[in-house]
Amino acid sequence: MKLLIVEDEKALADSIYSYLQQENFVCEIAPSYTGALEKIEQYDYDCILLDINLQDGNGLQLLKTLKSNHKTDGVLIISARNSLEDKVSGLHLGADDYLPKPFHLSELGARVAAIIRRRHSAGSNFIRLEDIQIDIQARSVAVSGRFLDLTRKEYQLLLYFAYNKGRVVSKNAIAEHLWGDDTGGADNYDFIYTHIKNLRRKLEEAGAGDYIQSVYGMGYKLTIP
Amino acid sequence: MLGSIGYYFIVRSVLIHELDDALKVEEAEILSHVHSLDELPEPSSYRDQQISFAPAATPVRRQFINITRWEHHRHDETQPYRQLLFPVTVKGKVYTASVTKSEEETEDLLEWIMLVTAGMIIILLGILFMANRLLLRRIWQPFYQTLEGLRRFDLTKKESIAHTPTSIEEFRDLQTAVEQMTEKIRKDYEMLRDFTDNASHEMQTPLAIINSKLDLMIQDQELKEKHHRQLQAMYDAVGRLRTLNQSLLLLTKIENNQFAQAAPVDLEILIEKKLIQLEDPIRVKHLNITTDVQPCELQMNAYLTDILLNNLLGNAIRHNYDRGALDIVLRQEFLRISNTGAALPFDPATIFDRFTKGGHSEGTGLGLAIVKQICDNYGHVLTYSYEENQHVLRIQFTPPMTGTGRPSEFRQNAVLGLSHE
Repeated sequence: MKLLIVEDEKALADSIYSYLQQENFVCEIAPSYTGALEKIEQYDYDCILLDINLQDGNGLQLLKTLKSNHKTDGVLIISARNSLEDKVSGLHLGADDYLPKPFHLSELGARVAAIIRRRHSAGSNFIRLEDIQIDIQARSVAVSGRFLDLTRKEYQLLLYFAYNKGRVVSKNAIAEHLWGDDTGGADNYDFIYTHIKNLRRKLEEAGAGDYIQSVYGMGYKLTIP
Repeated sequence: MLGSIGYYFIVRSVLIHELDDALKVEEAEILSHVHSLDELPEPSSYRDQQISFAPAATPVRRQFINITRWEHHRHDETQPYRQLLFPVTVKGKVYTASVTKSEEETEDLLEWIMLVTAGMIIILLGILFMANRLLLRRIWQPFYQTLEGLRRFDLTKKESIAHTPTSIEEFRDLQTAVEQMTEKIRKDYEMLRDFTDNASHEMQTPLAIINSKLDLMIQDQELKEKHHRQLQAMYDAVGRLRTLNQSLLLLTKIENNQFAQAAPVDLEILIEKKLIQLEDPIRVKHLNITTDVQPCELQMNAYLTDILLNNLLGNAIRHNYDRGALDIVLRQEFLRISNTGAALPFDPATIFDRFTKGGHSEGTGLGLAIVKQICDNYGHVLTYSYEENQHVLRIQFTPPMTGTGRPSEFRQNAVLGLSHE
């Protein structure tokens, strides 16, 4: 899987690179509009992470070029301008998703994985984690063919872990993913704990392995041995 | 006043001068009589003119004098007279001749002149006053328009002050000055707004970098538990900065009226949905929720309505006791959310101000400021009270004006609604 990171903030581009590299993605960084334009014209990518505000040009223009060249690369817009107009115009121009800064790398990872899954495994709506099978279309989870009765939050949690498997996901990232900006504060950590406890119990009862580990009370990690 | 006194004296002196001329004519007649006949003329005494002669030791100095005499036949009133005294020499004897003329006529004349003049002036003033009122109203119309425009001037609205073209230079100057001033104020205001906007936006990227570095750091398996605790504190701090930043941006956007698109929103359904969304914190705090809701449809922006309910209910949950109560009453005219909780640690009058919060609150202190701003934008009235250990927040809705909600707004909103999915 090939990714292009179009981001002129080197520190941020490096973080994204390191995080996504772990998930068997081949990442390239384009630190400018012109650099990105060159790469886009030469290669095809599974997903392009596109910052809108570049020093030497507008990311939306890149998106237009991409679409007028009939490229099918997936595009995730990253923007410091969290405005509905940007979001609407980006999605209208054919971007797959929009993520405002600042974001958690796990959120980015999940969005990228979702875009690639939608683009590539056309028709395949399933994610397999050993004996666990997630049906994204039906929003259902089965262990060895047996369906689990998960709540909405538990399902969202499992999918989030699946997209970030093998990496530590912080509680803050989980809280933001599940509740958005709605209820801030440390209160959320208690709810997360409850939901994860229930999810693990349900998976265990269905006979699945215990893949979700707590990491020093700071986050969680799903590892498939 | 001074003018009229002056006028009186001028007219009077003119009239006296006339009188003196008449006296001089008499004098000339007497002198020519004496000269040609060398004898005194008959003294005469008419009602308005008396001539008399009196022997004198020495020639009297020729002079005009004012005298007053008692008039017996006129109720003992004093009457003013003008008298000319001059020396006459007849057959070697010196006489003092006096010609006296009553000033009564002059006074009468003066009175009439003053009366007529005063009358004319009053009539003129009256006409002037009426003409002024009519004319002024027309001439000053541009001025009053500008004044009214200034009174209605609203910085947050893009409308400029309307002017009707006028040929009066002063008003044109005023209009230009007002225009330039409002333009400058607006520019300054926009600059300030843009500053908040830009500052907040510029902060997003560094925050994103910190956040991403933290996300990377926790992947490190060699970290000790004490590091994790520090990292967690950093995460929380960045999270708070992020929320703060977003709240500030949201406030500016609401102030800028960037959420103008309005559509009918059903508060009853939205409250129900919000309570489901907030079920986790409600469950953890074991809150007792009572709802007494009736259908209520408002013309509002969907996103802002969501924020409004979120902040109000979020507050009512966060600042509640364990096993406390949260009551929601919704009517067509108002929404009332009350919750148990300790009295405010600050002045209740400042509750809607920015950055007002209890010392240990994790919130940004902007939640209710945002609610207030949203209510202000729609003309809803937000009030707070503390009754029987309950915090009560009440929104009195303003009925929407008829004719709002153009079709284009609905369409735009539909697009935005889709993008939220």
